[in-house]
Amino acid sequence: MAQPDGLLYSKEHEWVKIDGETATVGITGYAQDSLGDIVYVELPKAGKEVAQFAAVGVVESVKAVSDLFTPIGGEVTEINTGLENDPALVNREPFEGGWLFKVKLSGDAQTSGLMSAADYENFTKES
Amino acid sequence: MKRTALYDEHVKLRARLIPFGGFDMPVQYQSILQEHEAVRKAAGLFDLSHMGQFILEGDGVAEWADALTVNAVPTMKPMQARYNIFTNARGGAHDDVIFYRLADRWMLVVNAGNADKMWKHLNDNAGGSGVKLTSLHGQNALIAIQGPRSAAMLQPHTDADLNALKYYFCSEGSVYGKKAVIARTGYTGEDGFELFVDGADAPEIWAKLLGDNAGNGLIAAGLGARDVLRLEAGMPLYGHELTEEITPLQAGLAWVIKMSKPEFLGKAALEEQQTRDDYPRIVGIVMDGRAPAREGYHVFLGEKRVGEIRSGSIGPSVGNKSIGTALVEKEAATPGTDVVVHIRGTAYGAKVVELPFYKRSYKIGAA
Repeated sequence: MAQPDGLLYSKEHEWVKIDGETATVGITGYAQDSLGDIVYVELPKAGKEVAQFAAVGVVESVKAVSDLFTPIGGEVTEINTGLENDPALVNREPFEGGWLFKVKLSGDAQTSGLMSAADYENFTKES
Repeated sequence: MKRTALYDEHVKLRARLIPFGGFDMPVQYQSILQEHEAVRKAAGLFDLSHMGQFILEGDGVAEWADALTVNAVPTMKPMQARYNIFTNARGGAHDDVIFYRLADRWMLVVNAGNADKMWKHLNDNAGGSGVKLTSLHGQNALIAIQGPRSAAMLQPHTDADLNALKYYFCSEGSVYGKKAVIARTGYTGEDGFELFVDGADAPEIWAKLLGDNAGNGLIAAGLGARDVLRLEAGMPLYGHELTEEITPLQAGLAWVIKMSKPEFLGKAALEEQQTRDDYPRIVGIVMDGRAPAREGYHVFLGEKRVGEIRSGSIGPSVGNKSIGTALVEKEAATPGTDVVVHIRGTAYGAKVVELPFYKRSYKIGAA
């Protein structure tokens, strides 16, 4: 699956889209494909401060539980409540309707350690 | 890692392979949930060649096997299949199996993970019995076609009269002209057939069944779908609901145990357990929310820990509820009991229910 340009990617297969002070986080097409049918997501609560690369929740497929790491630090402002009843949306639209949560960037938010679409594409081929 | 006769077919279908029971086995091809749905609505094709297949021969097979298992073997009619459990002296399950009584021999199918252990157990107990044991493990293949449309899909390609083949009976014949034992058995809660064939014939039968029925909704299905299907149907999986420690009585399989038999390995222990009636037992669990219950999660009745989850999945055939089995103390085992399951440090509500979660709505075979 192609990686959309303009997003940043983590080694844990999350993406982040930064739009001014707000960042939207999801898992990549590669990640959802590796996991298989997603049946449950547990997301951080709105208002929670999360540090870059911290474990903030889980994504569960039929067979396995996987930790979810945030690629960006800040305050969680919104979670995708649509996933509660339709977690498979992460499989169908990992980069769009299947986004996971939004973060209000802290002043010193770091994007170091994240990759461009092209670099992530190469990363998934190597791993 | 060993490969079944169908390994190349799995690779062609781009299956995701995992080690299971000593073999590289397909856990899924496209999607576990799609494969599950195909089996409930049309049919799925499974490679079960990793399971242990043993041939038992001799006049005394029935009586010999009867003394090692909980169910009745001598009362089986020719061409009948019967679920059974080999027990240890403590009444625990050594393996759960299916016996097939063929015209001139018996076939025993054991769990892949228990094949070596069972082969030893049979040989250790065969001395002086006159029973001759042959292992076909890894040579013979086993292909299962499971689902409400499986009879219609298979009938054009076999000389067995499927309409006359009753549930838990089998026939010796051919499929696509290749020698086969065709059994109306399965592990999905649906109608279906298990085809015991020579490993050399298996790839052709597999590919032809899939090719000839692609338009009828038949797809290859992996072990992931099989696990969800059997859990919904309330069927035990060895290592989860049955172990060397968990007896058939605890697993809710009293119907399998023939206490009227004069003697069998573990009988005294099972009788004592039954009389005391204070043992932890396997129950069905339905979570209040969608959080999946996973093996090993702790189950509480109020503040008291009363057991643990043994299997869990979402149940697509039961409204996508989060379902599972748990081994719990008797006080928590009554259907309707509200319990709590701890998941990653958080308490989630759940209810104890009767098994199975799913029952097919049609009869199998001709009346």
